[in-house]
Amino acid sequence: MTEGRAPRGTPAAAGIDLSVDLAPNNPHELRLSNPVIAASGCFGYGQEYAGVIDVQRLGAFVSKGVTPLPRRGNAMPRIAEGPAGMLNAIGLQNPGIRGFVKKYPRVWANWRVPALVNISAESVEDYAMMAAVLDEEPGIAGIEINVSCPNVAQGGYCFGWDAEMSAEVTRAVRAATTLPVIVKLSPGAVDIVGVALAVEEAGADAVSLINTLVGMAIDVKRRRPVLANVTGGLSGPAIKPVALRMVYQVAAAVRVPVVGMGGIMGLDDALEFFLAGASAIQVGTAIFAQPGMVIRLIDGLEAWMAKEGVASLAEIVGAAQPQEKSQVVGAEDADLALGAVAAG
Amino acid sequence: MIDPEAGRAERADQVPAGDGGSVVRAREFVGGIVAVEPAMGDSLLLTMSAPEQMVRQLRAGRFFEVLCRDDASYDPLLRRPFSVFRSDPTASTLTFLVRPYGRGSAWLAERPVGTRLDVLGPLGNTYEIPPRARNLLLVAGGVGAAPLVMLADEAVRRGLSVTFAMGAAGAAGLLEPSLLPSEVEYVVATEDGSKGHRGYVTEVLADYVRWADQIFACGPEPMYRSLRAAIQPLRVGGKPPVQISIERAMACGVGACLACVVETRHGTQASCVDGPVYDLDEVIW
Ligand SMILES: Cc1cc2nc3c(=O)[nH]c(=O)nc-3n(C[C@H](O)[C@H](O)[C@H](O)COP(=O)(O)OP(=O)(O)OC[C@H]3O[C@@H](n4cnc5c(N)ncnc54)[C@H](O)[C@@H]3O)c2cc1C
Ligand SMILES: Cc1cc2nc3c(=O)[nH]c(=O)nc-3n(C[C@H](O)[C@H](O)[C@H](O)COP(=O)(O)O)c2cc1C
Ligand code: FES
Repeated sequence: MTEGRAPRGTPAAAGIDLSVDLAPNNPHELRLSNPVIAASGCFGYGQEYAGVIDVQRLGAFVSKGVTPLPRRGNAMPRIAEGPAGMLNAIGLQNPGIRGFVKKYPRVWANWRVPALVNISAESVEDYAMMAAVLDEEPGIAGIEINVSCPNVAQGGYCFGWDAEMSAEVTRAVRAATTLPVIVKLSPGAVDIVGVALAVEEAGADAVSLINTLVGMAIDVKRRRPVLANVTGGLSGPAIKPVALRMVYQVAAAVRVPVVGMGGIMGLDDALEFFLAGASAIQVGTAIFAQPGMVIRLIDGLEAWMAKEGVASLAEIVGAAQPQEKSQVVGAEDADLALGAVAAG
Repeated sequence: MIDPEAGRAERADQVPAGDGGSVVRAREFVGGIVAVEPAMGDSLLLTMSAPEQMVRQLRAGRFFEVLCRDDASYDPLLRRPFSVFRSDPTASTLTFLVRPYGRGSAWLAERPVGTRLDVLGPLGNTYEIPPRARNLLLVAGGVGAAPLVMLADEAVRRGLSVTFAMGAAGAAGLLEPSLLPSEVEYVVATEDGSKGHRGYVTEVLADYVRWADQIFACGPEPMYRSLRAAIQPLRVGGKPPVQISIERAMACGVGACLACVVETRHGTQASCVDGPVYDLDEVIW
């Protein structure tokens, strides 16, 4: 129906194809009209920004993280700022999966923009339960699994820091739904490439990265941490170089599409992520500062491609990767790359 | 320091007529600073151009989030909220009362006339004057005076009686009387006694609380606590009711991030959309 439904590689009317399929191995496919996605936790449930920007023009948006039960979130203050970055400790305040499905999917079913649902849980079973609930709902284009959550069965060790734990969640969700599944990787993982390969193997249609980095700020006057939660997730331009490095490494290793994010503030940042190997990008914190930027980014990307003579986004995805690696790259190569970084 | 040519607001065409009458939808727009005047000690009044239709429909209590940095900088990353101090539909301008506090507000306070500001708004709810209220008591602390001046303008236009009470450390921290409509009775207190009552403004409110049909307040949170303590013995059955404006660190300003929540008797609310104005008795401190 939309231009996004055109087969991959078919130039749009303007002769430039911005569309991308983030689940090429899934019969449902996850075809976006353009590669610009609003990131989870930074776009509410889509409605909040409906009056501010033309939400329907986005490639997709990811809703705020939903959990098995309602959560009140953390005490105040929940945000602080650092150099070119923000710290957040919202604490996943949300109505829980049951309250969530009563409210939002029916609204999204009438929207042109694909809605992705970000899910968080503290056990493998709960992730699977939420995926099964979402599978029944209209208006949902796919699921993004937030694995940056404590695994209660493993003493609270973060799922996303461990390849096997991340794979287990992915397998359980995969078994519970036929919807496209994106696994959102945690930058806290010791070996993020290993986690990416494990979730790919476990059935992820795509991977997205990075989630926030754990940080903190201290109020010198009060001699206390600024955030009530003490630590918070760092996002914004401050994390971009780290995010870009991780996207570059993961894209070199996996075959599924990679969705890159972390500090994207405009077209130049987005282009870096595409060149590193991202097939699509997400914008989070920048939306708070300049909501209109995401729309300008779509237009700017199209204009840039026209100027550079790039007909399809696929032509530039991963173009900054070493040429000989652009076809098939194994885990060993990626590990070598990691080693090189660590040595540097 | 007035430059009428400096940056007529752009993208005015995008401003919708307003949904449901008084509440105008938020827009991101660019407007130029047309005037900067000192006020209230180290603070200043900053007037900028804005889409005319938006200005026309502005109501007291609403605020805007201003991007307080240069185009080439990412610091501070997030916008800063400022209440509307005054709006002028004829000139198509709105005015903020800015106190240089940290890096964002200090940046804003240093902008010369002609600077183009990236602004998101109007945001939040409004102070509501009850239909039958005749006598209004407004209690301001510091830059909390901003939305109350806008409210005083509204009330005077409607022919209501307004008492504007304000306290500060010294005379320099008080709003200049000339900035209030002349119909308003202005009651002041200073801790050093340099003007008005020596002490806190809450100490001179008793008669006014008995007189008022509705109280409106804006200031720091400790002020609300002392206000509540001071007026509680004078109130009968929660009357007169008190509307306050709550200040929270904000990111999005539109209800998306949940950074700015307030605990109320109706649950946890995002103060940027459900507030910043709340009934004093509804907020759980
Ligand atoms: C609805 C609303 C209306 C306002 N109206 C006015 C006005 O009319 N005039 C005026 O001068 N000021 C007003 N303020 C306050 C103004 O927004 C702050 O002074 C400003 O955000 C401080 O930022 P800064 O960069 O100057 O200081 P910084 O010290 O750099 O920033 C303060 C930091 O703390 C956070 N923060 C800001 N306010 C609070 C808070 N109350 N509690 C906890 N953390 C906070 C910020 O997000 C930032 O990270 C208003 C605030 C709100 C919420
Ligand atoms: C306030 C806030 C809330 C967030 N909430 C979630 C969430 O619920 N689930 C999730 O997977 N990521 C969440 N994130 C992480 C973002 O989706 C994104 O991964 C991260 O902020 C990096 O991108 P950015 O630099 O563009 O913001 C949140 C980020 C912020 C700033
Ligand atoms: S500031 Fe984001 S919800 Fe209020």
